[in-house]
Amino acid sequence: MNKVASLPEAIAEVQDGDALVFGGWTIMRTPMGAAYEIIRQGKKGLYLSASATGTISDLLIGAGAIAIAETSWHGHELYGPAYNFRRAVEQGRVNGSTFIHCEETTNSVFLRNYAAAMGLPFFPVFTHKGSDLLNPNYDTLREQRSVNPKLPAHKYQVIKDPFWEGEEVVLLPAARPDVCIIHVHQAGEKGTVLIEGPEYGDFCFAAAAKTTIVTAERIVSEDVLRKHPERNAVPGLFVDAVVELPYGAHPGGCFGVYDTDPSFYEEYVNASKAEESFNLWLEKWVYSVETHEGYLQRLGQEQLNNIQADPEYGYNPALNRRK
Amino acid sequence: MIMEKKNSAGYKPIEAMTVAASQLLHDGEVVFVGTGLPMLAAILAKNTHAPDLVMVTEAGIYDPNPEHLPMSVSDARWFKGSPWSGGPVELMNFFLQKGRIDVGFLGGAQVDKYGNGNSTVIGDYLHPERRLPGSGGACDIAIQSKRTILIMMHEIRRFVEKVDYITSPGWKCPGYPQQDNLMDRTELGLAGGPDAVVSDMGVMKFDPRSREMYVKFYFSGLGITPEKIQEHTGFAIDISRAEPLPPPEKVLFDILRSKVDPEGLFLGR
Repeated sequence: MNKVASLPEAIAEVQDGDALVFGGWTIMRTPMGAAYEIIRQGKKGLYLSASATGTISDLLIGAGAIAIAETSWHGHELYGPAYNFRRAVEQGRVNGSTFIHCEETTNSVFLRNYAAAMGLPFFPVFTHKGSDLLNPNYDTLREQRSVNPKLPAHKYQVIKDPFWEGEEVVLLPAARPDVCIIHVHQAGEKGTVLIEGPEYGDFCFAAAAKTTIVTAERIVSEDVLRKHPERNAVPGLFVDAVVELPYGAHPGGCFGVYDTDPSFYEEYVNASKAEESFNLWLEKWVYSVETHEGYLQRLGQEQLNNIQADPEYGYNPALNRRK
Repeated sequence: MIMEKKNSAGYKPIEAMTVAASQLLHDGEVVFVGTGLPMLAAILAKNTHAPDLVMVTEAGIYDPNPEHLPMSVSDARWFKGSPWSGGPVELMNFFLQKGRIDVGFLGGAQVDKYGNGNSTVIGDYLHPERRLPGSGGACDIAIQSKRTILIMMHEIRRFVEKVDYITSPGWKCPGYPQQDNLMDRTELGLAGGPDAVVSDMGVMKFDPRSREMYVKFYFSGLGITPEKIQEHTGFAIDISRAEPLPPPEKVLFDILRSKVDPEGLFLGR
């Protein structure tokens, strides 16, 4: 089956209220182009259960698209703090929408999705013990749990290991992502995915979700990808739609293709300091450009030239990162 | 960006703390590196006294020696020349949860006298004054490494009697859900524990019996005294065992500036 779709077609599969998960890592290879389209299509009430989400979650939260986030880290690394996220948590609402955050850790997010990928209802871990992650008063989703069918009945449970020494084990509920979106280097028309450089757990997320959308720098023939199956990260069976989207991780980087974009980050981070200025930023970079192609045109070839990766390194060693 | 003037010592406090932290890493150890100064200190150690130090990050990086300073634990700059690369599930579990990590190396916004770290929130978690980036892997790493090193600036609002939120459990922490009083981490079955807190004023360790933080070394070359550390600490800290730290060899600062962070991304210029 040919799974190639346009970006608007693929993102139309995302429903208001869906549980979402994204691949990539903070400022690296997150599906930013797909997130811009989610905002353009006016999706609301989304539920994000993802790990080191960085720019993509700050963007979607700032646009008022996310109602609930169970996430572990927010920021643009050295480019600055996640002001939209910060404001949303401190005020409990953003751009007219309510927002609830519940703290997770890198491992809890991944293992909750790992359980989902394996069809398990929960996963045992030793992490979180001794921390406020287990503080029952800090379960910010407690009141929602009985009314929102997307949420598990408890944040966690503790049992004694019934098989070995009887140590206390924390059980974390499986995530139940409706849609996973990853941005990758190459994808075949049947959904086979090739990732270069760090994988960041994209395979786990793609396996966990009911529907997986892949945006790729390039769509290539499945025959090419079949030459080296061991290099491919995700089998086409797990993939529902494939979209060709060059620079689909911008302003984040994509290993071996382009680096992060310091000047774009400077503009984003400054704009995100207040809702009003961020809304102007959204108008300039998301709404008024109308399409991904319009976004790239507004960026201009010169800015894209500045971030090209040196194939020898996988990044741009001459990038001026102090912008 | 932290911009500090070099003083008469010829080095900045942020450089002194990075060098002091790197000295706490031993050759051959496996260190789980958090974002920021831990990356600089570990890369410095790798390029000086600890060539067989194995750095790993939660994003899937294993045993790199980057030519250019990474900006994050996921940066492409870690990748070139690494012998292997995995995903977060492998790094956080096959490495960390399995007990293969010697040192967890973390930053943070607050630390208390038991070494509990906070990178989640300032103020009440439910009604925050200032929401911070969050745990990332810090909670997982502090619970499951054989020992933990924390690195942060020494300010009275950061070295506090009680952290606003325990992201990274220290020596005495709550045993939720049954127990919200502080108990010894060994009673909770946690591995490791905080070994040191490195600040821009000195190196703090923990008393094995009381589990409380004390001043082990102060940066005398920067004009720091034990009394000055007490002034910048929000709880009564034992300074009776404090010793001046001999100024590090100049070559370490040269390597830090010329090889580790020549762009001044973290250290300023």
